[in-house]
Amino acid sequence: MAIIDVRHFAKSFSGKAIHKDVTFTVEEGECVGLVGGSGIGKSVVLRSLIGLEKSDSGEIWIDGQEISKLSERDLVEVRKKVAYVFQNGALFDSMSVYDNLAYPLREHTPLKEAQIRERIREQLDEFGLIEAIDKLPAQLSGGMQKRVGLARAMMIGPKVILYDEPTAGLDPYNTIKIQELVLRLKKKGVTSVFVTHDMPTALNVCDRFCLLANGRVMDEATVEEVKLNKGGKIEQFIAGEVGG
Amino acid sequence: MKSSRTEFLKTFGGFAILTKQVAVEMMRPPLYPRLVIDQMYQVGLQSLPLVFVTAGATGMVMALQFGLGLEKFGGKLYIPKIVSLSIVREMAPVFCSLMLAARVGAGITSEIGSMTVTQQIDAIRALGTSPIKKIVIPRVLACVIAIPLLTTAANFVGILGGLLVGKNDLGLDPVFYVQKVLQTVTIADFLSGFAKTPVFAFVIAINACYFGLTAKGGTQGVGNATTKSVVTSSITILVGDYFLSKFFWIFEQWL
Ligand SMILES: Nc1ncnc2c1ncn2[C@@H]1O[C@H](COP(=O)(O)OP(=O)(O)OP(=O)(O)O)[C@@H](O)[C@H]1O
Ligand SMILES: [Mg+2]
Repeated sequence: MAIIDVRHFAKSFSGKAIHKDVTFTVEEGECVGLVGGSGIGKSVVLRSLIGLEKSDSGEIWIDGQEISKLSERDLVEVRKKVAYVFQNGALFDSMSVYDNLAYPLREHTPLKEAQIRERIREQLDEFGLIEAIDKLPAQLSGGMQKRVGLARAMMIGPKVILYDEPTAGLDPYNTIKIQELVLRLKKKGVTSVFVTHDMPTALNVCDRFCLLANGRVMDEATVEEVKLNKGGKIEQFIAGEVGG
Repeated sequence: MKSSRTEFLKTFGGFAILTKQVAVEMMRPPLYPRLVIDQMYQVGLQSLPLVFVTAGATGMVMALQFGLGLEKFGGKLYIPKIVSLSIVREMAPVFCSLMLAARVGAGITSEIGSMTVTQQIDAIRALGTSPIKKIVIPRVLACVIAIPLLTTAANFVGILGGLLVGKNDLGLDPVFYVQKVLQTVTIADFLSGFAKTPVFAFVIAINACYFGLTAKGGTQGVGNATTKSVVTSSITILVGDYFLSKFFWIFEQWL
């Protein structure tokens, strides 16, 4: 069974239907790119996958559990398995990078502070951020903030990662850095959903694409099909022939 | 007209829901005493200078005004009595709460509002923790504990302000002043002012958190939320003070 299974998801905001019938699945270990025009509701779908947004109707199955009707308290277990990488990192700006990374460990693991320090050093090393350990988020560049956000999301070893435009507004160096990190996590078997407008990156990291339009998944295509120009609507979207 | 009414109902409903969530989550572990202490420092200690100036100035002005008014009738000797009673029963709790609604309320709303619009509140949830526990409860508890203590300190400072003016400008003997105050102010007087403050503190904190959590639309949204928070708290305190005073008045009669 697919690790993410969204069935007939619908959502409207103050009477305006954003999603009418969104249905798609993501298999374990797969990276699915969710593409579509600006304001089409990609972030809303992604947020709903960990219950940050409540659906109006439909079902959302995560790792065999229907989560769309769970309470905030029951969602905690889901959120330990599914990490969310926010567009601008969403780091806690009153805390140092160290404390930001320690946050999930202190909350969800019985680790001692010495072990936490160990884990954080390893993680920052891997992410090439070790020199930022004692800095405040405001002292970091946007690209570094995004990478720290990704590092924080990874601290307790989630099975699924949801990326909301992880490369938007980044220079080529940071874009490649993020790309490498995503690929490395993918190699470890982490499942991901990748929302982006950055098609070159998406073509490098995603296995499959879903095109959101008119409140539903309009089309799906594998990365091979897209590369071989057989991507149908997705192909047209990437070529800039259809807007959102 | 209709939209402002729905707005009002929505806000009021929002307070009620937030209050309920606070009550429910307060009963469940984990609680974060460290965060409460941090906030007590922010709300309490950091507000001391403001509270002292407010209370001191109030006591001094009252002594001066009553002194000028009563001197004509030879009523200067009533000044300790009038000043201390009005400070303890009314002025200290209400003025301090109003000033704190501005200082503490604005601080809380703008801080939480910025966290909301930069998705830090979403991040708290996404990391499997509760913003009610992490953000709201520490601030509510800190206010409900610190503001009554601040008011108690304000009582002393206000009475002291009156004493200074009484001695320097009106020629009252400080010893006489203190004796009169001690004879006049009863526990019931103190309590009738003091007991209002946890209510005001709760109003300030819940308002401030609510408007912060519901802030939308970037920096301007945070500014709007902060204004609404201070205005709503101040009005609630002023109107609520009438009803609480009346309630305590009936209660004292009944005793
Ligand atoms: N909390 C909310 N309240 C009201 N409307 C909302 C809310 N969240 C999203 N929307 C609306 O839903 C629509 C989709 O928003 P969403 O952020 O998901 O778009 P998106 O596809 O991620 O766009 P972008 O590529 O620009 O990030 C937008 O029109 C937005 O105004
Ligand atoms: Mg978005």
